[in-house]
Parts: sequence; structure tokens; C-alpha cells
Amino acid sequence: MQSWRRRKSLWLALSASWLLLVLLGGFSLLRLALPPRPRPGASQGWPRWLDAELLQSFSQPGELPEDAVSPPQAPHGGSCNWESCFDTSKCRGDGLKVFVYPAVGTISETHRRILASIEGSRFYTFSPAGACLLLLLSLDAQTGECSSMPLQWNRGRNHLVLRLHPAPCPRTFQLGQAMVAEASPTVDSFRPGFDVALPFLPEAHPLRGGAPGQLRQHSPQPGVALLALEEERGGWRTADTGSSACPWDGRCEQDPGPGQTQRQETLPNATFCLISGHRPEAASRFLQALQVLAALQEMSPARVLALRQQTQFLWDAYFSSVEKVIHTTLEVIQDRIFGTSAHPSLLWNSPPGALLALSTFSTSPQDFPFYYLQQGSRPEGRFSALIWVGPPGQPPLKLIQAVAGSQHCAQILVLWSNERPLPSRWPETAVPLTVIDGHRKVSDRFYPYSTIRTDAILSLDARSSLSTSEVDFAFLVWQSFPERMVGFLTSSHFWDEAHGGWGYTAERTNEFSMVLTTAAFYHRYYHTLFTHSLPKALRTLADEAPTCVDVLMNFIVAAVTKLPPIKVPYGKQRQEAAPLAPGGPGPRPKPPAPAPDCINQIAAAFGHMPLLSSRLRLDPVLFKDPVSVQRKKYRSLEKP
Amino acid sequence: MCASVKYNIRGPALIPRMKTKHRIYYITLFSIVLLGLIATGMFQFWPHSIESSNDWNVEKRSIRDVPVVRLPADSPIPERGDLSCRMHTCFDVYRCGFNPKNKIKVYIYALKKYVDDFGVSVSNTISREYNELLMAISDSDYYTDDINRACLFVPSIDVLNQNTLRIKETAQAMAQLSRWDRGTNHLLFNMLPGGPPDYNTALDVPRDRALLAGGGFSTWTYRQGYDVSIPVYSPLSAEVDLPEKGPGPRQYFLLSSQVGLHPEYREDLEALQVKHGESVLVLDKCTNLSEGVLSVRKRCHKHQVFDYPQVLQEATFCVVLRGARLGQAVLSDVLQAGCVPVVIADSYILPFSEVLDWKRASVVVPEEKMSDVYSILQSIPQRQIEEMQRQLFMEPARRENWSAANHQMNSLIWPREQWDSQIINDRIYPYAAISYEEWNDPPAVKWGSVSNPLFLPLIPPQSQGFTAIVLTYDRVESLFRVITEVSKVPSLSKLLVVWNNQNKNPPEDSLWPKIRVPLKVVRTAENKLSNRFFPYDEIETEAVLAIDDDIIMLTSDELQFGYEVWREFPDRLVGYPGRLHLWDHEMNKWKYESEWTNEVSMVLTGAAFYHKYFNYLYTYKMPGDIKNWVDAHMNCEDIAMNFLVANVTGKAVIKVTPRKKFKCPECTAIDGLSLDQTHMVERSECINKFASVFGTMPLKVVEHRADPVLYKDDFPEKLKSFPNIGSL
Repeated sequence: MQSWRRRKSLWLALSASWLLLVLLGGFSLLRLALPPRPRPGASQGWPRWLDAELLQSFSQPGELPEDAVSPPQAPHGGSCNWESCFDTSKCRGDGLKVFVYPAVGTISETHRRILASIEGSRFYTFSPAGACLLLLLSLDAQTGECSSMPLQWNRGRNHLVLRLHPAPCPRTFQLGQAMVAEASPTVDSFRPGFDVALPFLPEAHPLRGGAPGQLRQHSPQPGVALLALEEERGGWRTADTGSSACPWDGRCEQDPGPGQTQRQETLPNATFCLISGHRPEAASRFLQALQVLAALQEMSPARVLALRQQTQFLWDAYFSSVEKVIHTTLEVIQDRIFGTSAHPSLLWNSPPGALLALSTFSTSPQDFPFYYLQQGSRPEGRFSALIWVGPPGQPPLKLIQAVAGSQHCAQILVLWSNERPLPSRWPETAVPLTVIDGHRKVSDRFYPYSTIRTDAILSLDARSSLSTSEVDFAFLVWQSFPERMVGFLTSSHFWDEAHGGWGYTAERTNEFSMVLTTAAFYHRYYHTLFTHSLPKALRTLADEAPTCVDVLMNFIVAAVTKLPPIKVPYGKQRQEAAPLAPGGPGPRPKPPAPAPDCINQIAAAFGHMPLLSSRLRLDPVLFKDPVSVQRKKYRSLEKP
Repeated sequence: MCASVKYNIRGPALIPRMKTKHRIYYITLFSIVLLGLIATGMFQFWPHSIESSNDWNVEKRSIRDVPVVRLPADSPIPERGDLSCRMHTCFDVYRCGFNPKNKIKVYIYALKKYVDDFGVSVSNTISREYNELLMAISDSDYYTDDINRACLFVPSIDVLNQNTLRIKETAQAMAQLSRWDRGTNHLLFNMLPGGPPDYNTALDVPRDRALLAGGGFSTWTYRQGYDVSIPVYSPLSAEVDLPEKGPGPRQYFLLSSQVGLHPEYREDLEALQVKHGESVLVLDKCTNLSEGVLSVRKRCHKHQVFDYPQVLQEATFCVVLRGARLGQAVLSDVLQAGCVPVVIADSYILPFSEVLDWKRASVVVPEEKMSDVYSILQSIPQRQIEEMQRQLFMEPARRENWSAANHQMNSLIWPREQWDSQIINDRIYPYAAISYEEWNDPPAVKWGSVSNPLFLPLIPPQSQGFTAIVLTYDRVESLFRVITEVSKVPSLSKLLVVWNNQNKNPPEDSLWPKIRVPLKVVRTAENKLSNRFFPYDEIETEAVLAIDDDIIMLTSDELQFGYEVWREFPDRLVGYPGRLHLWDHEMNKWKYESEWTNEVSMVLTGAAFYHKYFNYLYTYKMPGDIKNWVDAHMNCEDIAMNFLVANVTGKAVIKVTPRKKFKCPECTAIDGLSLDQTHMVERSECINKFASVFGTMPLKVVEHRADPVLYKDDFPEKLKSFPNIGSL
């Protein structure tokens, strides 16, 4: 009994002390969970929760799958997006076909010329039924001629309303599902991915061609103003690097003084221009607030350099003429239709731009001659020789042997383009030889034949005469300049004051701007450009006046590259003995070609003169040097 | 020790009945209690010392202890989302202030638990994912704990899944945040918007001007340039690590792995499978799995069981089809597996589409063309597919890049929250924004490719002329001859003499030759070779002619022609004598070659034209220690310049005219063979050194040089533009 009681009290004491212990311990444990107040000044990040492991996921596995219901609908009936308002089923086949509503009544000259330019383009179709896009021009704001609802309107489905100039007609009908391309659309009405935002075009904007960018040097001139501000009434104010004394806290004590800014009427020569949209009066406040100057000063020279060049590229590629603006709009819509085979963004954003890098040719940048360096790739080491045999139709046996002798030659294509029957026997060559029976048209020479397997083409005329080492050296040079034409014989253009037009000469001068395509290396992409991007009228011109074809090809390449072609050395004696070009210019027995007229017609169609002159020739490193012939790799180039 | 005293007070009642033997128990007991107390006392200090040595600045507490906030039923509700909001109308940039690092600052509100008048909670306090997300922000450079410095505010109210919250009350909770101000500069994250039956594509919680980073935006709800579209988090991607798989053909051409598809869509897909056989695989939920197998990790086709997400790696294209919601978590799985997503969800705004070029990594097919999807995919060339696959692999690479700070979170989504901050950052500081290419180009493409800083094809006008920069030390007589010769070149517009001798003053003004263009003398602080390539403010033209003070043999025609050639190649080095680098197979290293070869890869800068931008690059952007090496060795500055230009442009030099060497009249006496050989060894060493610093051999070899069009042609000399082109 006693021991039981003793044991009882013992247990009591034990449990009491343990209770105490637990109480005290628990208290301190609690304190552990709630640490003392954070020390002042210490950074408090997001807490690491002790029970973070126990948190539940935001969605339970069973919750994720949902049954599809009808696709999300527009909140208000008027809004459109690409999927819901454009019917791509009409656009199967060869891309975007555009029908343009003919103008009603009297129209302005601009309107007529824009219509003509679309009609001449590769997008045009004459039947509204076959068209995938119906284009409604809404142009002549000041004449008061407002278009009424067109016939095939169909609530505006697959329609594009093009407003080139502001102050459009009052809406005579609901735009509905039609896309709108206009300048400065408002955020409320603009439907991203559906409407197209255009640049604001002045009335006098050139229809085609357009002035080239005014940048004459890559980097800014030292000493020119850093920033020009647009002011009211079209004036400009320039601010210098010294005028940015405001701290970055949202306000300046005072305006940059008049001593540091200058007022000018015309667009000044400054590195940056601040455009403030519709509110020029806000510009100076904006400047204070955002400290544009400070930001610009911080910008590295590398970035300024890149920005300057990009402005010029964008202007030249998409902005400089009404025609470019319209074609860009159509190209944007075509890219939406093409989906996976649209232009990659690189093609849009680096020279020569998406209008000149056709996505129908390829969507891989490395297939084009322009992006080898960006892609870290090189042009392949083989070429295809394309020999055009026009009248009188002698198989060019010697030429075939000389070309086939080049280690870089992959194949020879003979384009038989005369009335005589195809010879049945062709010389044995180390490379495959294919004969194509042509259509007797000169423009056939630049057709993108699927049989051409290499990037490089050596274009030849049956009467051309080249040696193997000339071919080898010229091809090596082409590999260094794959976007240009590399040729042996040259000609030049010049401004003829007497006739007030462009002239053409094949005489040997100190400079040249064209190479003859009867013996020239170039990228096969130019065949695609020639055939698919030139207006039909120009290709017809080439067929009617065969000597024009050289000029035309040189125009295309120069318009794309903005660079002159390259000349390589050519055996002298043959140059004088055998004329390379059929009926080519120079002191030849044949009558001189109607080149001057042709060059002017082509220049008019391009809207500007893209040809550029070069004063150099690329020779082998030891060319005609007084050193041992044994040292020279291309010694046969120098043989008299 | 208050507790033990208390014990002792209770104690005396027991003690009289105690025997000595029992006393031992109590002493033992007491000691235990005492020990326990000491232990707990120590315990009070011990964990704190651990904490302060490790994470002294991070709170450790339980989520159950967060303060509770009662929301009265009539507390204010924000306006519905304002659809017309744009950065310039609804966002207050002034709060973002000037930040030298051009990073916006993000503040996170403290976590609270919101209850209504009846004490019923408004939502789950916080989900695992949202906690991790906030942790990621808190660990990033964007985070600030100073509410007054913040530009963006992130509420800790978890709205990732709309279904788990009470809409009205959540909105009320938002409205009482201390800096709410109609939601200005507040950023909300939501992944599962909408709810049955109509499933809105954006969060239904009224949020006024707050920015929304949402998964599953449609073109109707997405505010272009304001909201940010984010991917829907997939728990699987976080758990499973898939092995990397290179581009190339896969076993299946097209695969659909989603469960819970709408029956109509499933029919369409199954029709494709019937039509195209083995190359199409349509998977579904597994119905007959044994117990214990995680059903989310398995997919079935008839009776065949596949591991998910591993099976995604076996397909070239994977279907990402919309459900009731546009954003689907499967997109994350598919991206991780390197399968090209085929997105079939009309009007869906793809994640981060503001900066990511989805054209390069996915195929978007309209819903109405679903039955044609196979032929659409077949029309894509294999090379383009491989490019897309490569583009997908860049995603993990970038992920690591961005998640360096919080690599313990190996999930697909959280580092991207930092992308959100970066995207908004780009909008606020557009001039410091990351370019489209930087967002989209995989590092692999960058390697070997160049982006030429002078990419615009442009022939500068001849009228601009060039600036000749003569580096000199003390050869005054020779210098004056060079000045006289160079001044005869028609296109010279300015002459700059860099006086590199600190011990001697340049000659007096009156002694200098009188020339027709401005002549300026710059004195340098130190006799360094790199002074010749400094971007002096005095250089006003783009073209620079670097010329040594002993180069007197170049003719005026030769120099003028060199300038004309530079105009046609303004992004290249245009020089006279050419040099070559060769691989020495015996020594296994690069060798410098000055023999008369058929090839060139460098030009000497003893006389060379180049764009003045390269002076800036040489002085400020030369990689590694090359500049110091050149100054220390007093040699190879020209090789360094050749490396620099070739590396940045990817182009070869242009050698003009037959000139093979600069004959230096004064040095004929010491022009011995041994000197020549040490020179060659030193130059070879430079090439090897520079190639290792650049990590590659940037020099390009060509076999051509530039001559005047009529050079050595049979043509009357007096009619040639450059008759006196000089000798070797």
C-alpha cells in the first residue's frame, strides 16, 4: 500500500515535471517558429515557409482536362480576328491573288497609277471569283469621290480596304469583316493580326522607286546635334549633348535654355529625332520626364550605328514609295495565308527585305544569296553552267569542254533555243550534260529550271569563249561575293545631257556598272526574281529586244544588292576578236542595239536608277607581277 | 529558474513521507527536469545561431500563422478590366524612375489570409506554384523590399486558378492593397482563367488597370503591348528530366497525347490515324491500369501503354489542341520533349508572343483545317523541321541562363516569370531592350555566324574623303616627307599626326610642311602602339588611312585608288602588301607567311584604309588581353586589327595593287636574314596567341586583289584613271 502510494506520488511528480518540461519546451519551440522582429535594415525577401512542402498545387491533376466547347467568341459582334473573318480556302494554289475594284467615275492620276501598279504585279487577278483578296482603294479624299458599297462585298469578307491618306470618306457602309490598312489607326479600332498599320504618306509620295535613304555614312558625323524635337507647325528644335542637366526623378527645374537648343524649319541633321505623334506640345514635357537625352547618351556607338542603318534599310525596303507600301501590305497578308511557309522574321528585318526575298523561292535563309554570313554558312563549292544556244545554232563544243574542265563544275545545261533540230550527239564530258528544249524566247535564259541543282549559275552564250582557269578564278571570286554578279565583259550607263535620258556604252572605260550575262556567275535565286517578281511588261520588253536582257538582269541585281557587279580579268585577244554578246554594242559588225531606249524604259519601270559604278577589277594576287610563272596559280590568264 | 522554485513550493508536502532511497528518484527526476530546462534553454539560442549564420535575412514561419484580414461585404470592388489599357495610358512609368542597371524593381505584398464577414476564407491562401513563383521574383535582381522604390507591385493573392477562388471577394481583397490605386502598375498571374460553362479567356476577377500575365489569352481579351501571355504550368515537366534528343526524323510523324479532348476533335484525329497508319499516333487515358501506377504518367492507344511524357520524344510533331481553355499545359511538355508543337487553337495568343518568334518553333493550324493537318505538315521541308527542332532546344538553354539564380527550381515555368519582368522591362526602357534576335537566336546559331556592324550596303560619297593618321615617334624628316606625299592625294580631307614621343616636343608650327588640308597633331600620354587605333574626336570622316611615318613609296594614284576601293568595301580592311596565315602541320600551330603567295588573309596597316568604327572596336571591344599584349610586345597591332575586323564582319581583307612590301630606305643596312627570322617567329606567335584569345581563327583566305579596271590592259596610259599605280 505504502509502496503503491509512494509509486503513485513518484509518477505524479514525474508526470508533473514532464508536463512542465513540455510546456516550457513547447513555448520555446513556439518562439522558434515565430522569430523575433526582423532586424531593421535587413532585406526581407519572400519568406521560406516552414510548411511549403505541404502546399497544394494550384490545379489538381483531375482538373486540367476540360471538354471543348465552342471556340471563344468575340465579345462584341463587330470585332474580327484572322481565323474568324478571313476565308483562306479561297487562297489555295499559288498564293495571294488580288482583285482590285475598278474605279468609278473620274479618278485622279495617282489612283490610276496605283491601280496600274497592282495590275502589273504578280498578285493581280482579273476575276473577282478567282481572287482570294478583294481590294478596295479608298484614296481620293479631297475630290469628294467616295466609293459606294461594292458588288461582291459579302459583309466585307476577304476584303481589304486600303486608305493611303488620312481624312477618309465618311463611312457610307459598315466595314464589317473587311481588313483595314490605314495610317495611324487608333488602339480602340485596330485589330492586331487582322488590320494592317501603314505609314503616314504625304500626298506627294512617289508612286514607285522613290528616293533612296539620305544616309551617306554609316556612323553619325561628330558634332551634329544628338536629338531633334518635332515642334508645332512643323518646326524642329535640336538639343545638344550638353543640355541634359535634369536628374532622373521625373522633373526638370527648367527647360533646356535657348542657348542649348536651336529652332529650325526643316528636318535638321541630328542623330535622333523625337516624334511625338499627334501631340507636339507634349514633346518637351515628355523630354523632361523621360530624359530622352540621358538615355540616348548612354547608348553605345554600336547600337547607334545599327539603328541608323536599320532606318535606311526599312525606308528603302518598305516605305519609300506608294507601290512598296501597297506591296508590303499584300505581302503581310500573304504571309498570314501561307502560315508555315511565310517569311521568317530574318527575311523581313535584314536587307534586302521581304519584298525582294520571295518566300515562294524558299523559307530557309541559307537558300538565298544574302544571309550566308548571318547563318554562319558558305556558298557551296560547285556551279551549274547554263549555255544558251540561240540562232544560228552551233553546238558550243569547245566551250563545253572548257567549262567541264573546271573542278567546280557540277553540271552543264544546254538551253536549245533556235529553229534547228536538236543535235543527237553531244560531247562526252566528266559532268552530266542536260539539254533543255527552250521556247525560243530570250527570257527563257533566266527561267528557274528545276534541273539547276547548285546555288551558282555560270550563264553563257554559245558564242562565248572562256578558258578553264578563267572559269575557276571567277567562281572563286563569286564565292566571296555570292549576292553579286561576277562577269568578264562590262558595259556602263551614263546620263546623257543631250537627250535628257540614260545612255549605254560598252566601250572600255575606267569604270563599269553592268556585266554581260553571256558570261557571268550569279546566284540561281536571280532566276526566280527575274521570272516571278518582274512586271510582265518588262519581261516582254526583254523578249522583243534581246539586248535588253543584260540591262534588265543587271538592274534586278543592283536593285536588290545596292552594289555594283564585279569584273574579273578576261583574255584580251578574244575580247576583241569574238563578240560575246549577240548584237552586243561596241565596234562590231552588227548594228548597235537599241540599248539607250531600253535602259530608259527599264529605269522608268523601276522608278529609279539602281545601277552603281565600280572602278576596280579583281585579279589573281600575283596577276602580271614580274615574278616567276611557276609561283602563279592562274598563269594562263596572263597569256598574251 | 522560476519553474524550479514553483516545484520546490509544491515539494515540502511530499518530503516528510520520503525515505532516503526514494530521494534518489526525485533527485534524478529533478536533474532530468533541470537538464531538460537547460536543454530547452539552450534550444532557445541554438536554432537562432544556425539561422543567423545561414539565412539570417529570411523569415521562417508557417503559412497558418499569416495574419487574417476580414473583408466587409460592402468593401469596394475594382472596375472590370479596362480593355483599352496600354502602357502609355494605364501604366505609370514615372514610378520606375532612373535605374542605372535598367532593371525595373518589383515589390511583393506580404501574404495575408482573407476571410469574409462570416470568417469563411476567400480562397486557398497560396498554392505551391504561386509560392515558388514569388520566391523566384524575390531571389531575382528585380526584387525590392522598399515599396517606395517599386515600379511593379505583385499581390500575394493567388489567382493562378480562377476555380479555386471567390471572384467578388478576391477583387475586394485586391482593392484594399496599400498601393492599389486602380491597379496601376500591379501585375497578376493567372494560368487557368474562366470557368464553366463559357470559359472566358482571361481572368474574370475585376482588376481595373492591373497588368495580367495570363495563360490562354485569345485575341479578344489580350491587350496587345500590355498583358503578357504566359504558358500554362505543367507539373510533369517539373518532375521529369528528359534526355536531350538531337534534330532528325522520329518514329512517329504526328502524335496527339492530350486526354479529355472533345469527341469531335478526337474523331478527326482518329480519322487521320486510319488514313496515314503507323506515322500518326493518337493517345488517350488508360482505363485498365493496375493499382499504384500513376495514371498521369501513362497514355494508351488501344491496349498499348506508353510512358508520358517520354513518348513525346518519339514524334516529330505533337498536337496541342485547345480544350475549353485555349492555353494547354501539354504545350510545356511538348516543348520540353523537343517535339514541334502543332497548335490548333484559333485566336490563341501563344506564350510570350510579343518577343518569341513562334513561326520558328511551331506550326499553327486553323481549327477548320484540322483534317488537312497531315498534308500541311508534310509540305514542310525536312530542313525547316530540323531548324524548328533546334529552336526548341534553345528553350532549355535559355532556361538555364535565366534560372541561374534559382536553379533548385528545375521547372519549366518559373524562370519565365523573369521573362515577364524582362518583357515589361523592355517596354519601360525600350532603348535598352533586348532585340528580337537576341530573344530568338539559339547560341548555337550565333557560333560561326556574324552580324556585321556595317550591314547596310552603302557606297559613301567620294566627296567625304578620308583622314590620314600618321603614327610617329621622332623620325621628323621622314614624317614630313610622308605628309608631303599624302597631301597630294585628291581625296585627303585631313591629316592627323599622332605624336607618340613623350620626351620630345613636336616641331614648331612653322616647320611643318604647308599642305592644302588641315593638319593636326595629337600628343599621347604613353608611347603605345595602340595609340594609332584610338578613335580620336578629330577624325571626322568615316574612312581612315593608317600610315606609318616611313611609307613614302606609295604613289598618289595608288593611295587614291585604295580609297576608291574602300568606298566599295567600307566594311573591310583595304591595304597594300598582303600577308597570309598558314597551318604548320609539323609544329601543329599557325604560321605567319610573307612569301609571294597566291593567297592573302591579312593586309599590313603600315598603310591601310578602314572604317573609323573599327578604331572604337579596337580600343574598347578588343577581346581578352590582346591590346596589352600588343603594347607590351610593341608589335602585331596590324595582325590584331586584321583579326578584329575579320571576326566582326566575317569578311576577308581587300589587297589593292601589286605592292608586296614597304621598302624602308633607312633600314637597308640592318635588313639582315636573322632579324627577318626573329620577326617571323614573333609574328607567328602573335597569330597563335590571338587565335586562342578569339577562340577561333577568324581570318579569311582569298585569292584575289583589286586593281584598276584597265590595269595592264592594252589601252592608252593617258586615258587610264590611275596610270601610276606603283611597283612591287
